[in-house]
Formats: sequence, structure tokens, C-alpha cells
Amino acid sequence: MEKTTVVIGVIGADVHAVGNRIIDYALTKAGFKVINLGVMVSQKEFLDATIETNAKAIIVSSLYGHGEMDCRGMGDLCKEAGLDVLLYVGGNLVIGKSDFTLVEAKFKKMGFDRVYPPGSDIEQGIRDLNFDLKSRL
Amino acid sequence: MAFLLFDVGSTYTKACVVDLQKEEILAYTAAFTSADTDINDGIEVAKRQMLDTMPDITIEKTLICSSAKGGLKMVAVGLVPDLTLKAATLACYSAGAKVIQSYSFELNDTEINKIETSGCDILLLCGGTDGGNFEVVLHNARKIACLSRKFPIIYAGNKSCQDEIHQILSDRGFECTICPNVMPSFGILEVGECRDIIRNIFLKHIVKAKGLSKLTSLINEIVLPTPYAVLEALKLLSKGTKNELGLGDLMAIDIGGATSDVYSINATFEIGDNVGYKGLHEPLEKRSVEGDLGVRYNAGSLVEFMPDYVDQDPGFKEYIKRIESDAHLSENFLYDHLLAKTCCEIACKRHAGRLETAYTPMGVSYYQQGKDLRNTSIMIGIGGPILHSKDPTDILKSALYTMENKEILLPLHLDYYLDRSYIISCLGLLASRYPDSILRILKKNLEKIT
Repeated sequence: MEKTTVVIGVIGADVHAVGNRIIDYALTKAGFKVINLGVMVSQKEFLDATIETNAKAIIVSSLYGHGEMDCRGMGDLCKEAGLDVLLYVGGNLVIGKSDFTLVEAKFKKMGFDRVYPPGSDIEQGIRDLNFDLKSRL
Repeated sequence: MAFLLFDVGSTYTKACVVDLQKEEILAYTAAFTSADTDINDGIEVAKRQMLDTMPDITIEKTLICSSAKGGLKMVAVGLVPDLTLKAATLACYSAGAKVIQSYSFELNDTEINKIETSGCDILLLCGGTDGGNFEVVLHNARKIACLSRKFPIIYAGNKSCQDEIHQILSDRGFECTICPNVMPSFGILEVGECRDIIRNIFLKHIVKAKGLSKLTSLINEIVLPTPYAVLEALKLLSKGTKNELGLGDLMAIDIGGATSDVYSINATFEIGDNVGYKGLHEPLEKRSVEGDLGVRYNAGSLVEFMPDYVDQDPGFKEYIKRIESDAHLSENFLYDHLLAKTCCEIACKRHAGRLETAYTPMGVSYYQQGKDLRNTSIMIGIGGPILHSKDPTDILKSALYTMENKEILLPLHLDYYLDRSYIISCLGLLASRYPDSILRILKKNLEKIT
């Protein structure tokens, strides 16, 4: 069976590479074909890569607290590009100790299907991904 | 063993006689050919000019490269502009072609009509990584299949649908050649095989269409697109052979009347420490073509880069108008020099990679796009405008790294060479067959200038 392609990367001017590597490793091990765009990835790069590779999910990381600014409009951009793709985001998305349910609501409104707080278990993310992919079939 | 080699261009036919045993250029010449006369005339003139001086010579073989009649004209079709369309364009360039039109995403009827009337020789259809998007290339193949003018098509996109694409196009009478994907996985560029296929199609079809087959009585073997031959010669010169050392990383620029070509040959793809990379990895043997930069037919668009001169010197403006209508006019060395220098500067700036600085909350960080040429230390000048200048070094110097454009990764230091006897393209014809001798002849005949 052909592997499902997912695109991952750290958005904006963020250079935190460690978590990105862990996600790459875990997803590859779980049987996905991972297109890792690395750090400092723009929305356009996420979309371009998704179009060419026919990826089924985009997993956005943001660690430096500016995630809200960087991710704004991304769901709309996907719709505009005609992409029917799962959109996940995770990490330290906003500065300070905001209530996570508020953060989650904000990002879901932006078009993200799932939002993960700092310290989330990557295995849980993969279970969610498999579940969401299956329910889309 | 003497070879007669021709480089047929639209304005000049360059030729040389080379002796591979003595490893010497016995004669060289450039004969004028205007676009509307038969290209055979230029070849005959050049041949006579040289052979009349050497009555005893026996010519082993006559070979030719050509950029006559507009050169090899291609249309590139890709998916995303920065990815497969860019890959397709780079593949065309590396095969010595000119990209006359390029399209991304789904082709529409207007674009299809433009392709119909483009007069292209070959169309290169790409899109999708292997296993990636296939809907768009399939759509584009179906659209292209409806064209009434038939020309060879190369498919170098997602492998998953190559059989279907081949079927769609050959059912409608197109000759479709399947080629490995130019971007098999994200960001990876593979143009080698595509380059070979383009050359083979050029040999099989295009040579006939461009009136070159009439020459078969004169020549034994054809024929490469001229830039292909140049790239072959430069590759050999840079990398060397098992027995003969090459010159290492190098650049070359060929300034023409209508377009300018820049070449860079590097052994490795350099990415600085603590620098991230964005986008497609460009080829180590890269050719770029600037369709808007030329010192005659495109002088008008070139002067837009030199507003100071235009404003201060009414004579300059006047001169531009005259050379645009009469390409062979050349009476003001200073103006011609300025045009060539600007051409060289802009073309090299576009060819080189960029190092972008990002100010992040964690401090400054960098990412690179394209090729880092800072350690490239050789620059070769090709073509009339550089050769005829009184100070060719000054023209080539404009390819250097500058503090005003810190982000553009041009060479920090350069040694300059001139292709004084127009031999690079001609010798490129023999580069793969007699690499050792050709390399020694090239090294001997390039003129170092300061």
C-alpha cells in the first residue's frame, strides 16, 4: 500500500529544530511519508509542498509564541488553493499562560482541525491523525 | 587528425580547425550571417576563409552546433511555479534550450491557444512529485492533446500517471517521450536524463526543421544546441579528466544581442554553517538564460537598469534607439561597454543564490536559496560584446560580490579569462569524445586577462 504523505515544518521566523526532528522521526516510524520543510517555513511553502506531493495532512509547529500571527489565514489559504487537507498545529502557540481551551478555539476558528498544547504526546497525535484520515475515506 | 568545427549562430558563424594530435587550433574565424540569408552561406564563407590558407589539410570530420533560427525553442509546463515549473525550466536550460513560454497549474484555453501559436520545437510537461499530485498533469495532458499543431512532447512529471499521459498524447498523434521525473521527491532536482532526451529529439526532428539537414553533405555529424556544447566544454574545463586536472569551480557569461547566458559549474552544493536552505536545489552545472538582457535587440529593456546614464546623457538614449533598429551598428565603444557591463551585472545577480537574513526572537538567523558562488574563483567571458570591448576585465568584474548587495552570493574574488578565438562552443562538440586533448587545448587557448 502506498504511504500517506504528510508535510511538516516550523512556521514563521521560528528556528526550533529539535521538536521538528522528533515529529519527523515518529511519523516516519509510524509509516508515513514525511516531507519535512524544516524551520522558518512560510505558509506558501507549506501549500506549495502539499500541492506537488499530494499530501493529506499539514502539521505546523510553533514554539516561539508568535504562532497566532504566523498561522492567521492559513485555513482560508488552503481553501483558496483548493486543498482538502488535514491541518494540525502544535507547540507553544501563544505567549504567556493563556487558558488552552481559548487558544484551541482560536486556532480552530482559523481552520485548524486539531490543536496541541506544549508537552503533548506525539503518539496521541499520530493516533488522531490515523483516526482523522480514516474517517475522511 | 584535424576536425572542422562550426558554431552557427543567427548573426555570426564561428568556426575553427583543430588538430587533436598536435593539440592545436590551426585556424579560427567568424563569418557574418544575417538572419534572413541561408545559414549555408555563412558556413561556406567560414570554411573557405580557413581552408584556403591550408591547402594540404585533410579534414577528418566536420561537426556543428547551432543556435540559428532562434535556437531550440521550448515550452515548459509545471505545477507549482517555484517547484516543478522551476525544475522544468532548469531542465530546458541545461539542455541548451530557450524557454519561450512557461505555465503553471491547470492550463486554460487562452494558454492552450498561446501554445498553439508559439512555434515551439518541444514541450516539456511536468507536475507532481512521484506519488504526488496527478490530477493537474492529467488535465494538462488532455488539454495539450487537443492542439492541432503536433510537436514532440516530453513527459517528466509524476511517474504514477506516465502511462496514462503517454496514451492520451499518442492517441492524438503526438510523439510523447517518457522521462524520469525532474522533481522525483520534494525539493530534489534531477535533470540529467531529461537533458539527454531533449538533445536526442533535437537531433531527430529539429535539425531538419531548422534547415540544418541541408548541410548533411557538408557535415558528418550533428549537432548540438550551442549552449549545450558550451556547457559540455565548461564542465570538462572545470572538472578535468582522470589524466588532466581541471580548473575547479568556474563561471562563464555569454552576452548576446538579444539574450545573455550565465553558467556556473561547481563541485559541491555549498550551504553555510548554521544556514537553512529553502526551495529547490539548483543543478551543480547550472545555466540560466536572461531573455530580456541583450546589448542590441534588448538594449531598450537593458537601459531600464541604468537610469542615471539615460538621464544625464542624451547621446546615450539616441544611441540606444539606433542600435535597436540596426543591430550591426557599433560605433561608440564607451556606450557598448556600459551596456555589456550592465548586462553582465544583472545577469550574474539573477544567476546567483541569495542569503536572506531573518531577525527572529531568538536572534539573527539565515537561510539560503539557490547557489552559493562566493568561493568560485574563475570567470570566463564569451561572445562579441565582451571580446570587442577595450576593457573586458571591467565588464567581467561586475560579476563580483558587493557590499551593497550582501545577500547576493556572487564570487568574492575572480580570475578572468577570455574565449578570444571563439572556441569554447566548437570544442564542446568533442568534449565527451576526446576529453584529455580537448581539455588541454581549452586550457592553452583561453586567454587570462587582468
